[in-house]
Amino acid sequence: MTTTPVIDVERLNLWYGDFHAVKDLSFQVRHGEFYALLGTNGAGKTSTLEAIEGHRTATSGTVRVFGQDPGDRRAVRPRMGIMLQDSGFTPDLTVQESVRLIGALSGRTDTVDRVLGIIDLTRKAGTKVSQLSGGEKRRLDFATAVYGSPELVFLDEPTTGLDIQARDDLWDAVERLREHGSTIILTTHYLEEAQQRADRIGLMHEGVFHQEGTVSELTQTLPAAIHFTLPSTAPVLPLQTTRERDGKLLVETFDLQRDLYTLLGWARQHEVELSDLSSGPTRLDDVFRAIGTK
Amino acid sequence: MLSIALSELIQIFRNRLVLISSLVMPIAVSAFFIYQHEVFEKLGSLGYIAAIIMFTVSAFGLYTTAVTTLASRRQNLFLKRLRSTTVGDASILTGLVLPLCVIAVVQIAAILTVLGIVTGAPDNIALVIVGVVGTVTMMLGLALATAGFTNSPEHAQVTTLPISLGVIAIASYVGISGTEELAPLKRLLPGGAATELVSGAWNGGASVTDSLLLLAPTLAWVLVAAVLATRFFRWEPRR
Repeated sequence: MTTTPVIDVERLNLWYGDFHAVKDLSFQVRHGEFYALLGTNGAGKTSTLEAIEGHRTATSGTVRVFGQDPGDRRAVRPRMGIMLQDSGFTPDLTVQESVRLIGALSGRTDTVDRVLGIIDLTRKAGTKVSQLSGGEKRRLDFATAVYGSPELVFLDEPTTGLDIQARDDLWDAVERLREHGSTIILTTHYLEEAQQRADRIGLMHEGVFHQEGTVSELTQTLPAAIHFTLPSTAPVLPLQTTRERDGKLLVETFDLQRDLYTLLGWARQHEVELSDLSSGPTRLDDVFRAIGTK
Repeated sequence: MLSIALSELIQIFRNRLVLISSLVMPIAVSAFFIYQHEVFEKLGSLGYIAAIIMFTVSAFGLYTTAVTTLASRRQNLFLKRLRSTTVGDASILTGLVLPLCVIAVVQIAAILTVLGIVTGAPDNIALVIVGVVGTVTMMLGLALATAGFTNSPEHAQVTTLPISLGVIAIASYVGISGTEELAPLKRLLPGGAATELVSGAWNGGASVTDSLLLLAPTLAWVLVAAVLATRFFRWEPRR
C-alpha cells in the first residue's frame, strides 16, 4: 500500500456568485480506503465531489487526484470510475450499447458481459435505457463506473431506488473492488450504509467539515442512550434520567456498559421490572441530527 | 470521438422524430423545389433553388436537429457522463454533431446532384462546394450557440425557429431579389452572402475573386456563433 494520498484536497473553496458553497476544506483519502462524504442538504458535498471528479474548477485551493489535476482527463480518468447521482444515459441506446460506449471512452479494458453480470443486468443487455426502471438505471450506472475495475470509484447515492437484492449485489461488488485495492468514495443519505462500510467519514455542514474521522471517533462525541419504562412506585434511580415524550425514561451515557450494569443491578436489587428496555451505541444518525442543534 | 459519433448515428435512426426532421423533411422540401424547378427558376433562378435547398437541409437537418440533440444530451446528463470519461470537450462535441454534419453534407450533395441532372450542371462546382461548406460551418456554429440557451428538446422547438426560418427567409429574399440593391445589408444578414455565393456559382457570371469575398460575411457569422457558443454553451442543466 502506498502512502501517497489518492485524493488530496487543500484549502478548497467554491463560490457560486455570492454563495460560498465550500469553505477552506482540506482532507486526504488514502489508497484502498473507503471514505464516505456525508452532509446535510446544501452542505457542499456534491460541489466538493464534483471538484474532485474534475467536473468543477476550484475557486481557490488545490485538488489532486493520484497527484494530478483531476481536470486532466487523459491522465486521471482511466484510473477512476464515476457513478453519477443521476442516470446520464441516452434513452435510445440499449444497456449493452451504453456500457460499450462509456467503457470504450473510459480508458480501461473489460468486457460488457462481465460488468453486466456483476449487477445482474445481463438479461437486460438488449433493452433500451428508456425502458429501464429507476433501479435498473442505477445498476447500469454502477456497471459503467466499475468497468475495468478502476483504482478509484465514486459512488454518488448508489443504492437509491435499488431493491434489497440489488443493494446486496452492489455492495458485494464494491467489496470485491476493495479486495483488489480500489479506493471508494461514497456519498449517501442512507447513513447506515456509511456506518457499516466506511473506514472514515467526512461530515459536512455549511461548506465545512463538521466532523471527520472513523465511525467510532464520530459517535463517541455523543452519549449512547438507554431507554426504559418504570412503574410509578419504583424507588429512586442511581442514574440521572430525563423523561421522553412517550413517557419512557432516558439515560444518556458515555460509558454504556458501566451504566447499563448499574441499572440492571439496581433493578435486580429492588425487584423492579424495566419495561421496554433498549440500549445501543450512538449511531451516525444521532451525530447527524446533532449538527442542526449545535 | 468516433464511438460517440457511432452511437449518435444509431440514435438518429432509432428516433423517429429526429429521423423525420433531419432526413425526411429536408428531402421532401427539396424534392418539391426540384419538381417545381421551372416555377422557382422564373421566380429567382436555378442558383436560388440550389441555395434554398442548401439552407433547408442546413436549417432543419443540421441546425434544428443539432440544437435538439445537444439540449437533450445535456438535459439527461449524457454530456456530464461523457465528461466523466477520458474524452476532451472538443471531441465530445465533434462526436455528437459529426453524424448530423455528414448526413447534411451528403443530403445536400445528393439533392444538388439531382438538381444538376434535372436542370443542368452548375457553372462552378468548386465554388458551390465552398458555399456549402461555409454554410454548414455557419449553421453548426449557430447550433452550438443556440443550444447554450435551450433548456430541453421541447424548448428547442421554440429557440430554433428564428434562425431556421430566418436563414430560409433570407435565402429566399436574397435569391429572388438579387443583390443589385441593398447589397451590403443583404450580404451581412446570416445566409445572405452564402446565398449569393451559391446562386452565382450555380448560374455563372460571377468572378471567382468576388465570389470568394462573399465567404467573409459567412465566416464572420461563424466567428460570432463561436463567441456566443463559448459564452452561452453549458454542459449541465441549470440548477
